[in-house]
Amino acid sequence: MGLRRLRFRTLGRKLAILYAGLFALTLALLGVTAQALIRSHARASVQAELAASGSVYDGLWSLRAKTLTASADVVTRDFGFRAAVASGDRQTIASALATLSTRAGVERVMLVEPDGAVIGATDALGPLLASLPGRLQAGQRDAVIVSGARVYRAIVTPVLAPMEIGWVMFVIPLDAKEMRGLERLSAIPLTATMLRRDAAGHWVAADGSVRANADLDRLVATSHTTRALAMLSLPSGAAYALVKPLAGAGGDDRAALLIRYPLSAALAPYLPLQIGLGLTGLAGIIAMMFASFRLARSIGRPIAALDAAARALEEGARTEVAVEGDDEIARLASSFNRMSAGIVEREHRITHLAFHDSLTGLPNRVAFRQALDQALGRGLRAGEQVAVLCLDLDGFKGVNDTLGHPIGDALLRDIGAILAGLVTDGLVSRLGGDEYAVILQGRFDPDRPRVLAQAILDRIGQPMLTEGHQIATGCSIGIAIGPGDGADPDALLKNADLALYGAKRDGRGVFRFFEAALDAAARQRRQLELDLREALRSGQFRLNFQPIFDLKANRIGGFEALLRWQHPTRGEVGPTEFIPVAEDTGLIVSIGEWVLHEACRHAAAWPDHVRVAVNVSPLQFRSSGFETMIFQALARSGLAPNRLEVEITESVFLEGADTVLNLLHRLRAMGIRIALDDFGTGYSSLSYLRSFPFDKIKIDRSFVTSVADDASSAAIIRAIVDLAGALHMETTAEGVEDGDQLARLRGQGCGSIQGYFFSRPVESDAVGGLLKQSFSQAA
Amino acid sequence: MHCRILPSLAALCCPAAAYAAPVTIDLRGPDGAVLTDAVVMVEVPGARADALRGPFVMEQKAIAFQPHVLVVPVGASVSFPNRDTVRHHVYSFSKAKKFDLKLYGREDQRSIVFGTAGIVMLGCNIHDSMSGVIVVSATPYAAKVNGAGRVTFDVPAGSATVRVWSPSIRAAGNSLSQSITIPSAGFATTYTIRR
Repeated sequence: MGLRRLRFRTLGRKLAILYAGLFALTLALLGVTAQALIRSHARASVQAELAASGSVYDGLWSLRAKTLTASADVVTRDFGFRAAVASGDRQTIASALATLSTRAGVERVMLVEPDGAVIGATDALGPLLASLPGRLQAGQRDAVIVSGARVYRAIVTPVLAPMEIGWVMFVIPLDAKEMRGLERLSAIPLTATMLRRDAAGHWVAADGSVRANADLDRLVATSHTTRALAMLSLPSGAAYALVKPLAGAGGDDRAALLIRYPLSAALAPYLPLQIGLGLTGLAGIIAMMFASFRLARSIGRPIAALDAAARALEEGARTEVAVEGDDEIARLASSFNRMSAGIVEREHRITHLAFHDSLTGLPNRVAFRQALDQALGRGLRAGEQVAVLCLDLDGFKGVNDTLGHPIGDALLRDIGAILAGLVTDGLVSRLGGDEYAVILQGRFDPDRPRVLAQAILDRIGQPMLTEGHQIATGCSIGIAIGPGDGADPDALLKNADLALYGAKRDGRGVFRFFEAALDAAARQRRQLELDLREALRSGQFRLNFQPIFDLKANRIGGFEALLRWQHPTRGEVGPTEFIPVAEDTGLIVSIGEWVLHEACRHAAAWPDHVRVAVNVSPLQFRSSGFETMIFQALARSGLAPNRLEVEITESVFLEGADTVLNLLHRLRAMGIRIALDDFGTGYSSLSYLRSFPFDKIKIDRSFVTSVADDASSAAIIRAIVDLAGALHMETTAEGVEDGDQLARLRGQGCGSIQGYFFSRPVESDAVGGLLKQSFSQAA
Repeated sequence: MHCRILPSLAALCCPAAAYAAPVTIDLRGPDGAVLTDAVVMVEVPGARADALRGPFVMEQKAIAFQPHVLVVPVGASVSFPNRDTVRHHVYSFSKAKKFDLKLYGREDQRSIVFGTAGIVMLGCNIHDSMSGVIVVSATPYAAKVNGAGRVTFDVPAGSATVRVWSPSIRAAGNSLSQSITIPSAGFATTYTIRR
């Protein structure tokens, strides 16, 4: 549809044009209908009038003939006149004809004799009239004759004696005067015109008013069969027309009467009606356009306001539209206002969330960092200091684990509130977890950080009542003061963190200022971490093996794999230095994997009774792929599982004993031996020995070193060996350095020994030699 | 107005009498129908009609001339007895004989002598519908055709003129003529009047 193609900028214009268009279309249809009805009505009335005029003319035509014939009869029946005609008494005849002319009121009356002689008022018509009686059809007394451009009517009355001896003729010119007379008979001002054939046979008006045209010819041709009104196109305009053919002598068409009435004249009476309709329609369209434009504006204005408001909202402005009335648009406006308010509110909340911690309502890490950045910037410009206090709760994990997260969250909220209450001159933020931070800025007392930290420690050190639980907690605080301890926020926060780390290390519940040494240690540690990664990648590690001597079989029963790191610049780095770093960073998992693979690979080349013992870090032990990793190491090396001995320390049990036990059982099911390392130190608990049947217990070197001199150590070793024996576990004493120790251990029933007395750890290629030597020694 | 007699003749040869040959003429109208309302005259030089034959009567009976066509020789006296109860006013404006018998009744005897050959059209001034014809013939060979449109004479062989009169003929005097030669064996023809 065309309307769909049109694009309107406003709803108002669209409605106005649409309605006005529809209205105009309706009016146009009405107008067309009215015009058709008017034409039809005009035609009907003109047809009636023309038909009536035609009928009147028909009547007059024949009445005229009758009247004249009657007048002629009076003369032609007169015996004297007949005698005069028979005797050719022309003077008498002429006088009689003159009398008849006067009596009948017809100018031309004449007598035609059988020999063609014409007596009476005659002219050029003479020859035409002379032959007329012979051409008349039987009984025909009336004929139209055409002479040049003139048309006449001849009414013929025979003179009988008793045969026809002559014909009296009235000749009436059908001229303009006759036509005007005819026109006067009609109630409407119609035009009567005499038609004749021209030289080419076309019909033309005798007076030249209508030229030859096909329409006219057709009209005359059909006039014999139909009396219907036809529309005739003439140069002077269209006209309704009716044709009456007039018979000539012999019945041929020589002339016809055309009665017409101009279309414009027929329609003229309706002109006021048409103008009235047109003006009414025009007024209607204008009124319609005005009304629909008003209506559309009343609909469109609120919508346009909504449109504008929606655009403003899109650009971020908070907008409201005025609500008028209670229609759909008003409801839409109300909804829009609510929506707009909702959007603004959510925007605020999102902004708040982005910069605030949802739990405590304190600024979050992002906000903290921004604030610190600004504070440092301002501090630098103003030459002021900025202090950062990093605070971490001690033992919060225990609270969460024992009392549940809801209580933990409540505690965090309470702490936040306490901090906010204590810190009136700075900004408190929650960095995440149980970490908080405080920024002090401006011209604060140099002692203020210390006083504040102590106040916090004192306050948080007191037991708190949270959600009905009495909770004893505490915190550690690290303090860094910029720009001395760091000119940018990251450095300052990092150093405060280092100080916090130091405080934690120094026993918790204290605060520590940042010291440069702390920083150096941390830096060194970071370097070590990087070096470890590089070492793992470039193969700087290697394994040494320390033999474990089986005292009962009197031979080497196995080797403990020991990790060695040849640092490219620092030389040999001891495990005590790098293993903690590897554990802290999680690198221990990858390193452990390497150790396991490497140990199994070497052991596969040894004699079948020689096992390999590998130390496994708790972190490594708890890593998800540990079981798979062992399986892969065994499969790749082809080492029998029972020749692999995994050494774990009691600390693996610290994080969930059940899962550890499950894993141990699965390893055992694979055939792998499990040894408990460093037994007797740390948290040593006999319950572990009851809960899992270890294959071996390794007695810590601290007992072995003093076994020869200290009776209590000897007693402990004795107890351990007896306990192991009762539980069917083997024992290995570590750190045996001299013969006395060996003798004592052997005496106390220790199963195997390990230590410098027998052999230092050796390179892998020295293992073979050691095995041979052991045989010779045994021998 | 062109009327002619077309001779479509078939002359018959016959060993005839010394002075007379049989002449048979048939007449047909323009439509080919038998023409009954006609008089045929064969004019032969030297032959004159006998005026003393008679009597010749043209009655007015039932408002009509009876007979409608009467053939008389030149010089014949024709009586016009009125057999009706009404009066008649018989007249003729014909050149051959103009006369005017003013109102007369049954009791009145009227007769007219026709001394000139020609066609005399009779009318009644009172009754327009009445019309009659008296054919005054100079030749003895003149007769009205019978019901079959035929007339037969015994005419001397030799040249002759055939004259036909009929109201149907649209020519001056309502008559047409043609010269013929009558063989001794006789003459027979059919004339068709053409419009």
